[in-house]
Amino acid sequence: MILLSSHSKYLLDILSNRVENAEGVDIERRWTEFSDVCYHIKGSSETPEFLNVSVSFPTPPEETEIEKGLPCGATEAVKVAYGVVVESIVPPDEGFSLTLKLDLSKLPKNKEKRNDMLVKIAAVREVVLGAPLKRILEHLASRTRAPAKDRVITLVHRPKECIFLIPREDKVTVIYPINFEDSIDTVLATSFLQDLAETRRSASLYSAPSCTWSSTPPAELDNATTESLSVNAGFFTFVILPRHVEGKKLDRTVWILSTFHAYVSYHVKCSEAFMHTRMRRRVDSLIQALDRAKPESEKSEECAENRSFRGMLQDHR
Amino acid sequence: MDPISRPAIVIDNGTGYTKMGFAGNVEPCFVQPTVVAVNDSFVNQPRSAVKNNNWLAQHSAGVMADLDFFIGDEGISRSRSSNAYNLSYPIKYGQVENWDAMERYWQQCIFNYLRCDPEDHYFLLTESPLTAPESREYTGEIMFETFNVPGLYIAVQPVLALAAGYTTSKCEMTGVVVDVGEGATHVVPVADGYVIGSSIRSIPLSGKDVTLFIQQLMRERGEHIPPEDSLDVARKVKESYCYTCSDIVKEYKKHDKEPAKYIKQWRGIKPKTGAPYTCDVGYERFLGPEIFFSPEIYSGELTSSLPEVIDKCIQSTPIDTRRALYKNIVLSGGSTMFKDFHRRLQRDVKKLVDARVLASDALGIGGIKAKPVEVNVVSHPIQRCAVWFGGSVLASTPEFFQACHTKAEYEEHGASICRTNPVFKGMYLYR
Repeated sequence: MILLSSHSKYLLDILSNRVENAEGVDIERRWTEFSDVCYHIKGSSETPEFLNVSVSFPTPPEETEIEKGLPCGATEAVKVAYGVVVESIVPPDEGFSLTLKLDLSKLPKNKEKRNDMLVKIAAVREVVLGAPLKRILEHLASRTRAPAKDRVITLVHRPKECIFLIPREDKVTVIYPINFEDSIDTVLATSFLQDLAETRRSASLYSAPSCTWSSTPPAELDNATTESLSVNAGFFTFVILPRHVEGKKLDRTVWILSTFHAYVSYHVKCSEAFMHTRMRRRVDSLIQALDRAKPESEKSEECAENRSFRGMLQDHR
Repeated sequence: MDPISRPAIVIDNGTGYTKMGFAGNVEPCFVQPTVVAVNDSFVNQPRSAVKNNNWLAQHSAGVMADLDFFIGDEGISRSRSSNAYNLSYPIKYGQVENWDAMERYWQQCIFNYLRCDPEDHYFLLTESPLTAPESREYTGEIMFETFNVPGLYIAVQPVLALAAGYTTSKCEMTGVVVDVGEGATHVVPVADGYVIGSSIRSIPLSGKDVTLFIQQLMRERGEHIPPEDSLDVARKVKESYCYTCSDIVKEYKKHDKEPAKYIKQWRGIKPKTGAPYTCDVGYERFLGPEIFFSPEIYSGELTSSLPEVIDKCIQSTPIDTRRALYKNIVLSGGSTMFKDFHRRLQRDVKKLVDARVLASDALGIGGIKAKPVEVNVVSHPIQRCAVWFGGSVLASTPEFFQACHTKAEYEEHGASICRTNPVFKGMYLYR
């Protein structure tokens, strides 16, 4: 799995089970996803076709524009994406930013369309969190001038993860300041991002958005606050062109851009895991060499002190 | 929001299945087989056969192969559909044998299934009571180094199974846990939260053996099941139709007298031709679970039945704990879910105990009679995931966060802190 999928596996499981079993059971579950998105789902056995799904997002800092606790454009985006199946309940449940009441009897009857709809509902965080980004990219797709042009737009999700957007008529520049707390993570992230920028230059990837990495803030961010510019793993920049946001690609681009921080963090951890694999393989091969180095007479005796190094190590694992 | 205010993640890695989810919930989010399907096709390509312009392709293919693996049900279906994937089972008999596969398994669990950031949550992992301390150290190393978890607690499975039986009125930390899983069966006595290590008994029968026995019986009877599916069919038959009887001879008679009532039909579809077939399920229904009580029907080498092993185990514990242990025999594990399993077990253990009390009374001097021993086998609906549920209960108490080892401690003292994990009582008792 290279990319993080946009729908929540667990939510999709619950929804599909609910739809398949005609008689519902009482369920109430809470769970959290990456970037602090909490879910709470509640359903009762008397009304099997209704389910209440609540989602909460981390409270953004003061400067970002929010409407009713959600990023701007989120409520309309929810209505557009889900139509009549979902009804948002105002005010949302205690401690949550958004509560949706799902009416499962209103799902389309066609099995494929129904599954698509369930996958879309399970991707509710993509719809809500991606709403402001989607608006900007829609302007790009239609090549119109966005209302506030030449201004750096900041989307802040959590204090250390923000996205800077500079929309123009023909392209949108997206800049990510990358921060990591652990020193090993920082080193791996820097090397990963530099490699990502290099790989883009290889011939086969010319249609992907061009990207660059730099350790100093790029020129466009001169007037942004210095606090959000303190990074330890550099800045990563994407240039998105209209052809990247045409039609179906729009949703995908929005998801990838809005979860870039989580994506980098995931790949850094995978790299650490695989380095461990290689380290273990290397240790094994060194032990083999040590074993070969033991003189013949010792090897033939199988008493406790003379067991091979490999045997010792395996006992310890 | 800091890690303490978010729910902890509870992952119970068993030989057969892994149960994972968030603390505070009643059941796990996912129950997946503990298996990793790895794509090995890139590893063994000879270096000499590669030309210069192919190097980049092979390098990136090698890099892709690192991330090209699947776990759980998806892994099993991928390995069936394509030859490139090989299955590997990282846990055998409750112990982790293949750390590479285990690390990858955890990675997929956390990022793909639970979809959470490991840096945000405290973790509760489980281990079998017979694990070496080095294994705990290794687990701690992987969790703190690779995943940067803020806190980790490695719990012993039987203690969590006891915690699953907590109610608002009682919190018994003394009892015998009979854990019959897919790979191994252990009888573990726990006194006040501490496992009495020298009295742990295990028998070589487990859920897998029940499945194999049922498969063998069906084959001997000549049921027409496609061979590649027969293990799968046997497992499904075991889960849907098996029950525990009180007496084999009577049960045989019951079956023979009224076949229509007892013999069930299994309907399946042949994978190659797609044609449906049916087969009868008869004596297997009660013979399957019977191997725990009369192991000689399965294999001539096994002689002690499960009730006898439980009895021997308790007799080997310190004398002052024995009554409490008899009073709280807790079942856990998927293979204890057979209908009436707990009743049969309770009856058999009580028979053994009563016989012993009677014998000692017969030898008694001065007419002193021993107080009869109360035997109680506890069973509750969450048995299949009792260990996970116990973990969820314990991880939702505020004391859990203090009992965990934190990353700061790990950086200061190293992985050896993970060798011991303090035992703590649950939420209903406040110190």
